[in-house]
Amino acid sequence: MEVRRILALGGHDFTSRPPDRAVCELLLRLASERGGERPRICILPTASGDTSEQIGRFYAAFGERPCEPSDLSLFRLGRRPMALRDHLLAQDLIYVGGGSLVNLLAVWEAHDIASILSLAWRRGIVLAGQSAGAMCWFEAGITKSSGRPLAAAGLGLLRGSLCVHYNNEPERRAAYLEAVGDGMPGGYGLDDYAGLLWEGEGSPSALTARRGARAYRVCNRGDSVSESPLPARFLPAPAPAALREDIAEFRRLKSMRKRAGWLG
Amino acid sequence: MKTVPRQIVAFGGGGFSMESGNPLLDDYVLGLTGAERPRVCFLPSASGDADHYIVRFYRAFSAHRCEASHISLFRREQGPDDLRRHLLAQDLIYVGGGSVVSLLGVWRAHGIDEILREAWQAGIILCGLSAGSLCWFAEAVSGFHGAPKRLQGLGLLPFSNCVHYEPKSSRRESYHRFLREGMRAGYAAEDGAALHFTGTELSRVVASRPEARGYRLDVAGQRVVEMRIATTFLGDRGVVPTAAVPEALSTAVAA
Repeated sequence: MEVRRILALGGHDFTSRPPDRAVCELLLRLASERGGERPRICILPTASGDTSEQIGRFYAAFGERPCEPSDLSLFRLGRRPMALRDHLLAQDLIYVGGGSLVNLLAVWEAHDIASILSLAWRRGIVLAGQSAGAMCWFEAGITKSSGRPLAAAGLGLLRGSLCVHYNNEPERRAAYLEAVGDGMPGGYGLDDYAGLLWEGEGSPSALTARRGARAYRVCNRGDSVSESPLPARFLPAPAPAALREDIAEFRRLKSMRKRAGWLG
Repeated sequence: MKTVPRQIVAFGGGGFSMESGNPLLDDYVLGLTGAERPRVCFLPSASGDADHYIVRFYRAFSAHRCEASHISLFRREQGPDDLRRHLLAQDLIYVGGGSVVSLLGVWRAHGIDEILREAWQAGIILCGLSAGSLCWFAEAVSGFHGAPKRLQGLGLLPFSNCVHYEPKSSRRESYHRFLREGMRAGYAAEDGAALHFTGTELSRVVASRPEARGYRLDVAGQRVVEMRIATTFLGDRGVVPTAAVPEALSTAVAA
């Protein structure tokens, strides 16, 4: 049986800043573990309404890396038809972008995407995402899809609930603690740049791409809601793209010189 | 309690979204409000609330002739908090094109479907093109993605609907097949033509292009009966015909 893997991220962007590079590196590594040297990575940007901005940032981050990036934009299918099921099941990693959790689930339901994602997961395709794209894998999350933070249902591939942007949005965290106190299944809180990785059965491992960013276990203890930080592994940022190019250039020169007999 | 006519204007295609420089259909729906400075709300969610589309709406519905607003269901934190109150305060609700499947999904998630029914009953004029036409009907032919599909709309109008009904299009072919397979009778409109319903009766067909037409489609046994409906070209100044009776105006029958 394939190992089922989900990476839930509390919040990040696809910039060239070190913590964002660390997250991209992790995504690339998870995809490569399944797909080898050129894994297929597809973004589902529909929680944002398939904005050019979100799609553009994804390609900027992965376009020059050893992978085959693609996007499945449900609002753009009119101009670019795609076989949804075939495309998704051919991926090594499916990344879901942030935005409106409520709209994401509604549009997925209308296009019957949920069953495909569930099958992809069972086949060992890595499922990942940040913000709405992280909460969607759980039974429930706290979304600001209607303006104020409110509980909303996810796909339920993972038991329990998730609250994202934990450190950045106190009102979201407060709404989460209240909802768990009121009977919503407990779960996790994730700061921006903190993540949880499920690999097969059992508990997830906590990861952090920025010092101080944390993952929390949130439980209803009957008379109170407890919030306990989880020990997290730090993900160092790889060298920036420009530096990688310099290193590659240096190696090319070195091998040319070697061939020409200039060295050794 | 006052009774107001319920009105829907369903464009086969056209208006600012498709006919840059031809404001005839948009002027028509604005004119129906009877208001000097009508309140118009744009619902662009079939496009995923695309920014460029919203900008084009505001350009077409400029402040000197109406009070324009929009609701982005993907960015609720920026819009009106009370969707119902905002929508029920409008004279005209204008639904943009895109994916009708996604549109209906998102509307249901935010309770917009119920609010629109209420708005219609309150006499607020509902209009739209493409997905913004299909959504009002009980059944619709969606050609947004891949082969045309049969789907259910909000059902304010108890008919089927097909948009962009151009001759030899795959939508037309599929619509006829769906009708033979049991889809309820309905109406189709070419690009530039708009079906104006009062209550659940078609009252007239108007067009922004001289050649654009609307059609009534029925099934008799396994035979699809297509009736072309007399259409008023809005560019002919001074022509203000009274309400048309579509059944009396059939001009063509096709298999």
